[in-house]
Amino acid sequence: MPELLAFIARDGVGEADFNALALCLFAHQFQHNTAFQKFCQQRGRTPRTVKSWREIPAVPINGFKDLTLSCVPTDLCARVFQTSGTTRGDIKGRHWHPELAVYDLSMTRNFRTRFMAGHERLPMGILFPDEQQMPNSSLAHYLALALREFGAPGSRYFIDSSGLQIEALVVALQSAQASGQPYTLLGASYSFVHLMDALQERGLRFQLPAGSRLLDTGGFKGQSREMDMDAFYEQLASTFGVPRSACINMYGMTELSTQFYDGGNAMLPSVKSGPHWIRSRVVDPLTGVEVPRGERGILAHTDLGNYNSVTTILTEDVGIAVDGGFLLLGRAQGTQAKGCSIAVDEFLKAARA
Amino acid sequence: MTKIQAAHLPGLDLQAVPWQTLTFGEGVQRVDVSVPQLTPEQLQALARHVRTQGGAQIRALSLTQIITAIDRAIARLLDAQDAYRQQLDRLLPLITGFDAEMVRLGLNAYLKTFRAPQLQRFVAEDFANPKLLDEFQPRAKGGMARALGPELLVHVWAGNVPGLPLWSLVCGLLVKAPAVGKTASAEPLFAAHFARLLAEVEPRLADALAIVWFKGGDTESERALYAEADTVLAYGGNETLAALRQQLPVTTRFLPHGHKLSVGLVSAAALDAQHLPAVARAAALDVVRYEQQGCYSPHTYYVARGGRVSPREFALALAGELSALQHRFARRALSLEEAASVAGWRQGQELKGQDGSVELVGDAGAPWAVAYADRAGPLLPCALNRTVQVQAVAALDETLPLLAVQRDFLQTVGVAASPEELHALAEGLGRAGATRICALGQMTAPEAGWHHDGRFSLLDLVRVVEIEASAEAAAEPYARYRD
Repeated sequence: MPELLAFIARDGVGEADFNALALCLFAHQFQHNTAFQKFCQQRGRTPRTVKSWREIPAVPINGFKDLTLSCVPTDLCARVFQTSGTTRGDIKGRHWHPELAVYDLSMTRNFRTRFMAGHERLPMGILFPDEQQMPNSSLAHYLALALREFGAPGSRYFIDSSGLQIEALVVALQSAQASGQPYTLLGASYSFVHLMDALQERGLRFQLPAGSRLLDTGGFKGQSREMDMDAFYEQLASTFGVPRSACINMYGMTELSTQFYDGGNAMLPSVKSGPHWIRSRVVDPLTGVEVPRGERGILAHTDLGNYNSVTTILTEDVGIAVDGGFLLLGRAQGTQAKGCSIAVDEFLKAARA
Repeated sequence: MTKIQAAHLPGLDLQAVPWQTLTFGEGVQRVDVSVPQLTPEQLQALARHVRTQGGAQIRALSLTQIITAIDRAIARLLDAQDAYRQQLDRLLPLITGFDAEMVRLGLNAYLKTFRAPQLQRFVAEDFANPKLLDEFQPRAKGGMARALGPELLVHVWAGNVPGLPLWSLVCGLLVKAPAVGKTASAEPLFAAHFARLLAEVEPRLADALAIVWFKGGDTESERALYAEADTVLAYGGNETLAALRQQLPVTTRFLPHGHKLSVGLVSAAALDAQHLPAVARAAALDVVRYEQQGCYSPHTYYVARGGRVSPREFALALAGELSALQHRFARRALSLEEAASVAGWRQGQELKGQDGSVELVGDAGAPWAVAYADRAGPLLPCALNRTVQVQAVAALDETLPLLAVQRDFLQTVGVAASPEELHALAEGLGRAGATRICALGQMTAPEAGWHHDGRFSLLDLVRVVEIEASAEAAAEPYARYRD
């Protein structure tokens, strides 16, 4: 672990260093996590045969639902983050963290470079419940960290158990606008939609001071109306007076310990990238083989921050590899309902009822 | 590359119609299908033209004349030398991605169920006296009755099983309904082709059918079209159908066909060395045909223990047949979404398999996969594209509660069992939601005149007008020749 923390703290690493640590973590996880060991053995991969981080079997995110992916007994883990369970209803994926030192270092180091734009602290408005309300949400923890480590005095949450605190937000935005100092809003994409709808009802628009930034994450997940992403950023820009280039989207997953960011959303789709301790591949979902550059595939991430679960996960997100990162094209919708055949979700619902 | 138009727009000024291109495949395999992008006003004008002109045309023909016209069109399509058929044989595989030979054979089997004798049988299924569709007929109880079709029938098709629209199109024609059909983006060609061909073989039906396209969820177009219809027959998922129903006036008759799920049952009686190859081959063919995209396609085979051949051996034999059929009917290239769905299903089976309860046959590179489970569970869908579950049961009646979980979705049950078992099971299968029980190997080829989803396909479309005996009796005193 000290080695891992030091690795993250470095200013950058080459392929060989990344590979060495990835293989070391793979061997560790293979040895101490029986569920993962079986998973690898089904694929004929062991630390003896795997020579590159690219060959580490990628665990589908459903594995976090069906298997206990932890190297230490879960009752010794300080924290478990759970998925919101949007795809399989009541079954939640669980990501066990023995302690949060690595997660927190990964988050803060990356957040500082990708969001803070040179500032030590910035006033923040958080559009998400706090950690007390959602102790198993990795996003709640992420935002709590952001607030604690990077929030200037006056930073606060604007969601409580009764929902979005519109009046308080209006006051905060008005005073930020008057202060001339940069302001930031961070939260779930759907919270921004709710906020923008509420402001539109009141006929309110803001022109936040230069240097203000917005951070949205997670998409709409059926929590708000679905918006076209271009319209979403256009409306963000016009509602808050923040240029689209300062509207940052964070791409994170409960199953990871590290986040990806873009450099603003002036153009869509924006290029997402992560820090030196995470690497991504775009693969064919069936064979796991990387697809030719420029072709669509499913994203697989190798996150060295995942020292206790599994370094390498196979997502359900469609991406394209590009210079400097990847384009995130949304979720693979599964089999589109075709003919008079099936709509899987309908049947799953029926089977659960 | 091929360019083709897919629409039939009688009475519309074609110069004023904007077109949009739907592209299928790439390179030399590419097909650009032009579909009309009608304005709501054009849609409305088209629907009104079909209702008035087309309605007058089709009502002027007798049922026999209509059957003859359909039969002539079908005869053309069954003729391998016919230009229409050749175009379908060439383009449908490119548009849907299905194996060309599979499409050709599937179309032949399907079209044969629409020839004149089959159509007559089809009508006879629903009408003891088919002349009810032509004129008032005396009723045994007294009085007279006549069956009238819709003034304007609108079809909303889904999906990419080639030829699917023909089923409801023919139902509409048999009850003399002028109709506007909206094709699905996945296969916009067949319906338009058929409508054009029908107009060619029977010009007196030239205005009775229109085939259009617009994007699903285009509520303005939907509203313009549905407002003109008195009956709407739609295929799609429950969400789509619910949204569609919302748009219809309560007085419009709505005939929804939601997504369905089908299943196969194999009895111990069919599991010996003599029968196994044929049963496994039939089961594999039902999986391969149209890549399980049909409502009648099997997702799971429940297989009984106690035969000379075990359920696991059946699963391996099925895998063998799937592997062999790949040479005859190659699986189409999967889209990324389809591949992700298959991968997700495989991963799910593998994860379940960690405790040894599921065995996945067929590696990730194979164009098929069989998941064998020693313990049967409730019926769940597979991932389509030649992925299928085989689950062992002690006896076939054990499956009834497992199937009933999907009561709202269950459709076809393919059965390989002894006569006694077949009849003993049928009642329970019906109560579990099944509407069609057929032989393995026939799951994707319903017989002529089947009751789709358990409905009376023609009766559902008509309205019966009765002259009661009292009206006849009351008229007598006003006759010129009264005594």
